[in-house]
Amino acid sequence: MSSLPELQQIIQDKFGIDPAELTPEASLREKGFDSLALVECLFAIEDHFKISMRDEDSNIDTLGQLAAAVDEIRAQQPVPKTA
Amino acid sequence: MSEPVAVTGLGVVSPHGDDPQAMFAALMRGDSALRPIFPELPKPAAAATAEFDVARWFTKLQLAGVDRVSQLAVAAADLAMRDAGAAGADLDPERVGVYAGCGMGGAAALEAAYRSSNVAGGRVPPLTIPAFMPNAPAAHVAMRQRVLGPVLTYSVACASSAVAIAEAAAAVQRGDIDLAIAGGSEALIVPGVVLAWQAMQTLAAFEPGAATRAVKPFASARNGFALGEGAAFLVLESAARARRRGARVHAQLAGWGLGSDATHLTKPDAPGQARALRAALRRADLAPRDVGYCNAHGTATRIGDVVERDALAQVWGDDLESLRVSSTKALHGHLLGAAGALEAVITVLALQRSELPPNISGGEVDPACAMNLVLEPGTPAPRLFAAISNSFAFGGSNAVLLFTRA
Repeated sequence: MSSLPELQQIIQDKFGIDPAELTPEASLREKGFDSLALVECLFAIEDHFKISMRDEDSNIDTLGQLAAAVDEIRAQQPVPKTA
Repeated sequence: MSEPVAVTGLGVVSPHGDDPQAMFAALMRGDSALRPIFPELPKPAAAATAEFDVARWFTKLQLAGVDRVSQLAVAAADLAMRDAGAAGADLDPERVGVYAGCGMGGAAALEAAYRSSNVAGGRVPPLTIPAFMPNAPAAHVAMRQRVLGPVLTYSVACASSAVAIAEAAAAVQRGDIDLAIAGGSEALIVPGVVLAWQAMQTLAAFEPGAATRAVKPFASARNGFALGEGAAFLVLESAARARRRGARVHAQLAGWGLGSDATHLTKPDAPGQARALRAALRRADLAPRDVGYCNAHGTATRIGDVVERDALAQVWGDDLESLRVSSTKALHGHLLGAAGALEAVITVLALQRSELPPNISGGEVDPACAMNLVLEPGTPAPRLFAAISNSFAFGGSNAVLLFTRA
């Protein structure tokens, strides 16, 4: 299970960044995410996957790291499937 | 009399668009921007919203935690700076200030937070506080324009942005700063806020289909105002600096008067307003008869219009007939914290174009409000030399700005 495609979709919908521009290795900060945008992004991810991100996840800098964290949390917190 | 302050830039995001000249032309025609809003509310309401393409000013990524009230401010301030052509290498960012009025802050962000907290499983967005805080618009303007001097917010209800402009002019005149971006923004056309204003019995009631003419300043049939949203900013510099850099000067801000009623929280007071009017005249070293036009506060409430007329009559005395008066709120609504700035821009344009925007009220003028109202659209004023803009706030704070021809 990888959350990557869904995360790319969330980021495209919310922040208008094309998935092709945002590779798993790219730094979110270098793509223009400041701490506030990252907070909003994590909130949207929590809403989408019905999960709770951890405090340390606010230090994440790449989409790859983000997908890994979301995967891990989803594996630990079995929740009803999202639409 | 100190040297006047030059108005070298104008920027608006208004219910009549974001081009000041086109906005003024629409006002001259008497075009109303009031429309029915929120049909789901129990009582009909009208408001003037500002058409605004946020994508011109922000990427989606930049919009995290930025309420509409700040978006409008960033756009209007940017338009004002472009109009002034002032963002040159000779501008020391530490000697630039932002003086912004705002009555309520991010109303949409706050309402969204309340709504989300009231539904099962709802979560309050994490950036509600930075979106809502009333000094966010000024801060966003500062970040966009890289302003490193004083960045200040004035929350003085309906006088907020008039006070901000007066304070900015004083700072320029003292030499504290070289250039001020001064004005205000308001964006509170959301159901909760409309309901609150309706509950206070201050909004105009109207028959179905009559929303555009709901607001009737100084008319016998007046029964309140309609809310408006938008932002307006002026660029202010010393006249000497404007001359030195060859800037086009729209008008001079020759005087301003700030004062307080200290009588009642919401009931206006003619002597208090008269003191602010006299203070503005004194600072500009002008006599009442020198002033040819007044853009009135004119909210079309039963008491407010009479009190304003009485204040003008107290100061102008036998010269009252020489003062042409109009409230343009019938056309653009009441922008509350942004009202003073928008109406300052309108007043500057009246001077620049020698034209007076009309007081459209579509009915008999209240004898208690008898003044030389500008009742016809398209009224020329070839000899207009000085004009004032009145802003009188809940809380009893009064602000009068006095502009003279450039």
